[in-house]
Amino acid sequence: MNKLLQKIQESKPYRNLLIFFAIMGPGIITANVDNDAGGIATYSLAGAHYGYTLIWSLIPITIALVIVMEMCARMAVATGKGLADLIRENYGVKITFYMMVALFFVNLTNVMAEFAGVAASLEIFGISKYISVPLAGLFVWMLVVKGTYRSVEKVFLFACLFYVAYIISGVIAKPDWKEVFQQTINPQIDWSLDYTVMLVGLVGTTIAPWMTFYLQSSTVEKGVAVEDYDHLRLDVVGGSIIAPIVAFFIIVACAATLHKAGITIHSAKEAALALKPLAGNYATILFSGGLFIASIFAASILPISTAYSVCEGMGWDAGVDKRTEEAPQFFWLYAVMIIIGAGVVLIPNFPLLKMMYLSQVGNGILLPIVLVLMVRLSNDRDIMGEFTNSRWLNIVTWITVSVIIVLTLFMVGFLFLFPNTVI
Amino acid sequence: MRLFIYLSEMLGRKVCDSNGRVIGRLTDVSMRLADEVFPRAESLIISRGFIVKQYMSVAIESFERLGKNLKIKKDAGQVNFKPEKLRVDFSLCRDILDQQVVDTHDQKVVRVNDVHLLRVDNQIYLAHVDVGLRGLVRRLGWQKFIDAIVKMIVPDSPYLKEEELISWRNSQALTLGRNKNVLRFNEAKRKLARIPPTQLAEIMEDLDIFEKLSLFKSFTFDLQKKVFTDLAPQEKEELIDQLTDREAADLIENIPSDEAVDLLADIPKEKSAKWLRLIHSATSKQLRKLLGFAQDSAGGLMTTEYLYLKRDALVGDAMAKIKKFVDYPGNIFHVYIVDDEHKLLGATSLRRFINEDDKKPLIETCYPKRIFVRTDDDVEEIALLLEKYKFSSIPVLDENDVLQGVITTDDVLEELISLAWTKYKDQL
Repeated sequence: MNKLLQKIQESKPYRNLLIFFAIMGPGIITANVDNDAGGIATYSLAGAHYGYTLIWSLIPITIALVIVMEMCARMAVATGKGLADLIRENYGVKITFYMMVALFFVNLTNVMAEFAGVAASLEIFGISKYISVPLAGLFVWMLVVKGTYRSVEKVFLFACLFYVAYIISGVIAKPDWKEVFQQTINPQIDWSLDYTVMLVGLVGTTIAPWMTFYLQSSTVEKGVAVEDYDHLRLDVVGGSIIAPIVAFFIIVACAATLHKAGITIHSAKEAALALKPLAGNYATILFSGGLFIASIFAASILPISTAYSVCEGMGWDAGVDKRTEEAPQFFWLYAVMIIIGAGVVLIPNFPLLKMMYLSQVGNGILLPIVLVLMVRLSNDRDIMGEFTNSRWLNIVTWITVSVIIVLTLFMVGFLFLFPNTVI
Repeated sequence: MRLFIYLSEMLGRKVCDSNGRVIGRLTDVSMRLADEVFPRAESLIISRGFIVKQYMSVAIESFERLGKNLKIKKDAGQVNFKPEKLRVDFSLCRDILDQQVVDTHDQKVVRVNDVHLLRVDNQIYLAHVDVGLRGLVRRLGWQKFIDAIVKMIVPDSPYLKEEELISWRNSQALTLGRNKNVLRFNEAKRKLARIPPTQLAEIMEDLDIFEKLSLFKSFTFDLQKKVFTDLAPQEKEELIDQLTDREAADLIENIPSDEAVDLLADIPKEKSAKWLRLIHSATSKQLRKLLGFAQDSAGGLMTTEYLYLKRDALVGDAMAKIKKFVDYPGNIFHVYIVDDEHKLLGATSLRRFINEDDKKPLIETCYPKRIFVRTDDDVEEIALLLEKYKFSSIPVLDENDVLQGVITTDDVLEELISLAWTKYKDQL
């Protein structure tokens, strides 16, 4: 028995698996944070209101996500630097500063959305948001200050298995697979205003600027060696495929239940009905539990990742292991993110939904700039060395980036012109 | 004319020819690559055009006026622009501004917000780098505005008075090393030599791999050894990965063997085998042997570098040996006496023979009892023995009493700390 074990341990697949598990993380985590409160809400709406007609868009979204995320991971391995660092060093302080200001505010509105998700999910259990949100804020603060984040990360990842509920529910609901398939291959695209806005919303919620900064920094921090890049790529590409797969099943589950029954979503309670085929009367509990986990996971990562990126770009000391007086800007940014992010959710009649539009607009304005800078950086041989973009990759990348840019500009335009049409 | 000027005040300024016509704008300053405390500007790089840019380099000597107003001695017809970016070895915008530099005085890595230049005799010198908030505000072009606001609210704010300038004497650029190890200059070495190795190792943790490499390669081999030993295990692997096989093997051969073993045990087998082949055969044999022991056993913890003498050695011989090995990274306070088969006869320490007569046989100064551990003893037993006898190191014997190596308290502490840390982490 021991001999067999030893043999397995020495075998190449086993070693590869070990390396993979050691490296696994940045990509999978980013992908899971991507399916946050805003993500679940958008996918649910897409499925409930438009049935299967938006499913086709997940294919180009997946390709775009894979390309963008792979580029980030490659830059991290090739340069050992975060994205904010690279932008500062190659494009100067002005671009960096305004970009960091934008990133800060955009992410702040994202954090608000996460805390709103916490509030909404726990209100289903009858817990007042005046209790749940401050506690969640405190929890997030303690995670980082006590330095226990790393161990909690694993718990979060495990908790993300919640998404399996959507997969099962999507299957049990007996969707019309033939129609799903047809809509994927030969979609009936309806170019109405609402439909287009929803489509852009799907792109916007799946590919967000914070992801690029977060993924690159966490890969650098992980210190992946150049030879292990293949394993890292597996993690990143895998993550970028898993996120849209989850989105797919959320849409299918909602389409097969809510859309079929003609229910439109107005609150978390209705969105929870999508899980009824699996959980029956427990659907609401399952849904709110999942929403809670997704929200608090993202709420734990976004503030710290923003504080890191901003400090990195501005050249301020950063790090949770530093004392407050050693890295004042870092701790202030972090504190402001949590206090304001959680605080506004508690203000009665605060236009939370309007803030979320604004965060989408902010994401939309920032993303094209980040993407263009990223492609230019990853084409610079002085910076990237052997990891420079290859020619065909460049063509695909520029096409993807142009499409994303056109779509986000569309979205921003819509949001300005018709602020009331958006959910 | 002000003696000092900020680079941000000059960049983007118009450059005029001798007739006062504008020929372009200042985009960069190319510096001389020489072994100087304060590098001197060699030429100014001027660009024109907005979308399609053209560049030109003008030697500092051909300027009539240097500062916010730039004027060259030539006529516009005598200059020609080139369509591509000029390749320079060392320029302020590419290598200093917005980059990270090592502050060798406070021993940390900082990011440069602005560059403070000194103007003397129509020459420009790199005097200070500005790492402060005010430099950042100045670069953004908001200085007047912010200054006015701060003056209104807090008139005596330190923000207005204190500039966070670091003298170039105390800073070291890092990115230069990426294409051309400019750091090989003596000036750079002198600056870095003031930083203790442990601090250098800490600084290196803040850098990306290229900066790490260029900094590391600027060290003398002796310093390389010390800094390398002080790096965290993961950093070691990352760094040695970037060295050539020959360099890596040299380094492994010359660091304490317990460190070398830890490193070799963690890297892929093909690589460690390749390096071991390049290492001097005796050392390589020792390392291979050590690699066979479990990492937390005495055999895995021990180092094979220790001072030993034969049975007939005198106190004078021991003193001579210690003096000879005074730079030795391992423990030199203990001397072991072995027979012809390298079996341990006794151990003595500097404290026991320093006041003895040079002619006295060393073996008479030995501890009355032979204290040792076996190669397969575990770290906790070793720690107990070290504590019990208050030794700073303890010999390791194999089953035939042949001396294999010694274990020093710091090796045991390192292992125990990591054990304690794992246990502590589990409790969280």
